[in-house]
Amino acid sequence: MSLDELELELRRLRGVLAVGFQEADGLLLVELQAGPDAYPEMARDATLIANQGAVGPVAVEVVRWGDRASAPRETRLRLVEITNDPAVGELQVRLALGDDEGVGRASTDHGLLAPVEATIAAIRAFLPELRFLPGWARLVETTPDRRFLVVASVTDPDTQEHRRGAAEGASPVAGATRATLAALNRTIAQDLAPLL
Amino acid sequence: MPETTTALLTASLVDVARLGSGLGAVYRALDLVVDGFGLDDAALVVEVPGLGHQVLHAGRRPIGDDVAHLHDAPEGLHTQPPIDEPVVAELLLALGALALRYDARPDPSGTALPGHSA
Repeated sequence: MSLDELELELRRLRGVLAVGFQEADGLLLVELQAGPDAYPEMARDATLIANQGAVGPVAVEVVRWGDRASAPRETRLRLVEITNDPAVGELQVRLALGDDEGVGRASTDHGLLAPVEATIAAIRAFLPELRFLPGWARLVETTPDRRFLVVASVTDPDTQEHRRGAAEGASPVAGATRATLAALNRTIAQDLAPLL
Repeated sequence: MPETTTALLTASLVDVARLGSGLGAVYRALDLVVDGFGLDDAALVVEVPGLGHQVLHAGRRPIGDDVAHLHDAPEGLHTQPPIDEPVVAELLLALGALALRYDARPDPSGTALPGHSA
């Protein structure tokens, strides 16, 4: 199956608005932007199609958009700062929602998982009931201009629901932090809205 | 509209239309518009019967957080920075509509997944 055929197969899925591809380090990232007409099993069907149509490993990310009126873009957490204190082996991620800030901390002993843990801890400053836990983070590409593309995954242990995000950063830690936010920001947007 | 861009666009579209896919022609045209006008980015938004609102981003790149608000953008060519080239925009829009209409016709084998558009 050619890339054109793969893209067309994915666009035929109900509710798909856009299809994007990014190849990094042998992994093909397939991003589907899905509108309000998208159906619950879209991720499963898209993964089936992508695995049938692509050569090599594939990761599928479905970005779901509801009615913009009911999910305003302003209800996003903003990354303020990432700090690293080598003396105590601690990484801090500071997030903001409007004028409020929340800080999450994690041990740098955990490597690239540390920014995922610290980001989730910072999100819990706003949403203590957040059900997602840190999963993993992987550096998938270092660009010639020293940008780092990272994929991060978080998991709801009760439902085994996974959310994955991909993002670039000036360091692997920054990429992992942004990727964690990319994985969760849309999921938590409705819960954040009343806090503004 | 710069003459070089028009010539490149036409030549490319003819070549790809003869030998390649409709979707490939649209992406090639978007790439040429980006290069020819020295743009940072371009995307085509087109409404297609059976598929609805479709966004094609130059380079087939992911849209991510959709900072350009393409999800609810009107039909047309959306560029960064904006350009005032209505003929190029209309040609690209027509090409995109034709390409998706014909390339994305329902699977005649009847083996489509349940979520596939009829």
